[in-house]
Amino acid sequence: MTKKKIQIQQFLTQFGTIIALVAVFIVFTSFVSGFIQVKNLLNILRQIALLAIISEGFTMCLIVGELDLSFAHVASLTSVIVAGLIFSGMNPLLAIIISLSVGAAFGIVAGLLVTKVGIPSLITTLATGIIATGLIYAYTKGVSFYGKMPDSFLALGRGNFGPIPSLVIIMLLVVFAAHLMINNMKIGKYMQATGANKMAARLAGVNTDKYKILALVLSGTAASITGILLTSKLGAANPEGATGFMMDGFAAALLGETVLSVGRASPFGTFIGALMIGVLNNGMTLAGAPYYMQDITKGAIIILSVTITSIQAKMLEGK
Amino acid sequence: MKILEIQELTKAFPGVVALDSVNMDLEAGEIHSLVGENGAGKSTLVKILAGVYRPTSGRFSLMGEEMHFHSPKDASKHIGVVHQERELVPHFSGYQNLFLGLEETKAGFLKRRAMISKAREFISKYHLDVDMSLPAKQLGSGQQEMLTILKVLFRDPKIIIFDEPTAPLSIKEIEILFTLIRDLRSKGMTILYISHHLSEVLEISDRITVLRNGKKVATVENGDQISERKLISLMISKDLENQYPKTKTEIGKEVFSVKDYSSVRSKFSNISFSIREGEIAGFAGLVGAGRTELAKSIFSGAKHESGEITLNGKRFTSKSSGQSVRKGIAMIPENRRAEGLFVQMSVKDNLIVPHLSSLSKIGFTVRKDINEYVGKAIKRFSIKVSSPEQLVRTLSGGNQQKVSVGKWMGENALVWIFDEPTQGIDVDAKTEIYNIMGSLAKNGAGIWFISSDLRELVAISDRIYVMKGFKILGEFVPPFDEEEILALMIGEKKS
Repeated sequence: MTKKKIQIQQFLTQFGTIIALVAVFIVFTSFVSGFIQVKNLLNILRQIALLAIISEGFTMCLIVGELDLSFAHVASLTSVIVAGLIFSGMNPLLAIIISLSVGAAFGIVAGLLVTKVGIPSLITTLATGIIATGLIYAYTKGVSFYGKMPDSFLALGRGNFGPIPSLVIIMLLVVFAAHLMINNMKIGKYMQATGANKMAARLAGVNTDKYKILALVLSGTAASITGILLTSKLGAANPEGATGFMMDGFAAALLGETVLSVGRASPFGTFIGALMIGVLNNGMTLAGAPYYMQDITKGAIIILSVTITSIQAKMLEGK
Repeated sequence: MKILEIQELTKAFPGVVALDSVNMDLEAGEIHSLVGENGAGKSTLVKILAGVYRPTSGRFSLMGEEMHFHSPKDASKHIGVVHQERELVPHFSGYQNLFLGLEETKAGFLKRRAMISKAREFISKYHLDVDMSLPAKQLGSGQQEMLTILKVLFRDPKIIIFDEPTAPLSIKEIEILFTLIRDLRSKGMTILYISHHLSEVLEISDRITVLRNGKKVATVENGDQISERKLISLMISKDLENQYPKTKTEIGKEVFSVKDYSSVRSKFSNISFSIREGEIAGFAGLVGAGRTELAKSIFSGAKHESGEITLNGKRFTSKSSGQSVRKGIAMIPENRRAEGLFVQMSVKDNLIVPHLSSLSKIGFTVRKDINEYVGKAIKRFSIKVSSPEQLVRTLSGGNQQKVSVGKWMGENALVWIFDEPTQGIDVDAKTEIYNIMGSLAKNGAGIWFISSDLRELVAISDRIYVMKGFKILGEFVPPFDEEEILALMIGEKKS
């Protein structure tokens, strides 16, 4: 193989996911009427806002080398808690703060169990996720919460700043903050070091337990932000409201691992992953594809992207 | 009759020739020992014979037939190896381990009874007391060793290689092992025996081959004229000054000292030593002597019952590696890929992780400071990179090691622990590492240098401590008596 060919191959594998995104975009633009309109593009961003926020939390866990299976359940829980508190007449700001603390508390408990007790995060968060579901039903008795909510609260999920939906602005703030933290802050580098090689990080003087707990807390907090925004967007909350974020959240973050660098989670990558899922959902819906085709396509795209990453990893090994 | 003939066998790795045109042979039914220092080429030779490595050039033939092994499984039918690490599945019973990979089945189902009775019949030939129905993990270390040997024998090899078999065994178990080995010989088996313990070698061998620096030095008949001293003098080479540049340094006051350090849990007893400014203090010993464990215990602030540690004249206490780093100890761990580096991250990120506090302002990293710092580190340790963003995994072993050392640059550590820093890197990179250690010492740091390569230890150190069995057995000052050090490391014990 010539040097040039290798370079092309490297380029294709390195930016494969982004190229795939652009390709999907071009296909929809050419064949689906109404796709490329500014209004629809903003709509896509609004549709992926919650997914992107919750996936950024999960990305933090991936970066420190842990998993969080509970985020969707924690989001559902905070969604009903914030609704319940507001309907009980509580000040919305206070209700939001309490709901955020619930998410963070789930992260702290899981973090302590993982680092101090030594239970694998997979098992820990599976269990805390089940507990969260149990708490939802204890709190709601299985019924959805409907009613009148203050406009100030509804503005979070439904409002606009000029032409831009507030959800989109919140999402961009979260993504930007996550990106800044991981790439430009000390704690971000320590989190990366913890996930890359725990032993080496310890020997370099990094308190790895602290950063693992932090990642799980961030994941819990991101989940509760998602839950709160979901309630605000719908003006209601139901017990399983955020369950659907489980699969798509995994998909976005894992797709994100194929962006930019080999098999490494990153906030920017996760955003691209969420965007990919949003574009596919939106374009296929506009094109009138049956809903099951969306799932099949999403699954296929994930396999394709991860295949590209594995090939790239193998190429690097072979060198 | 010659059962195995090795001709001009050579194995080259990038930058180093591990085995250099070795010729030797095994007579059928003899016990032949292979001795040499660490890095002499013993394990490379074993790995070729066991089908793990393929030789760069040269050949070996078994009963006149040239052999080309493609895998260890391929080799095990001809040449069986009892490795240092026992290859048993812990929760499998004796017979399941015995049949591992050779299971007998009928329509996909295991023929359990048939295998058990076959196993019994096979074992009865060797008069060994191993309970084949218990899971391997419930057996004592001696019985595990026997089971490992039985597993190797079960494949019916022509030759059996023992690679450091006595390390985990008690004296009584060693006796049983030797009885077994002699019994095997009387049944016509040919045995290649590899050990650091020269007394054992002299006790059991018919012939002994000495390797040094990848080359064969001699094959001798075991007898009255062969002694441990004679073997040691064959193992040590005398003409290798230039390979080991020694930086002239001024040796100052004591910078680090440990007095009566004991810990029941980690088995240390009454460890005392000191390192002075500008001094390279070498730690000699065999693998398992406790050198790495000692360094790690002190560095990570492990619990200990007694002992006083002073750093730069002040009492030193530490609860974690992080505290030790802040107090002025840097550690370059033995296994750089597992403990020293973030191989998936860039050279830049690897270099800055220990220094982020001084390279950040209110939590944000300062790009200008980082680039300046990284540039300096790359230059000072002559790390060859295309850009600081290059991933560490794509670097050569020597450059990876330099990153592992370079991580600690800005810290101005008073004591630097180098644990096996030259393992697995090429000759040029080794020289650079010696120079780095020398220049750190010259700046007044104390170097705690652990190495299993006695030649480099003798050439680079200003003082050598010998460890064995988690104790310091002796202290040497230049001019070093290499034979004396090696004898103490190995422990000339009568078994």
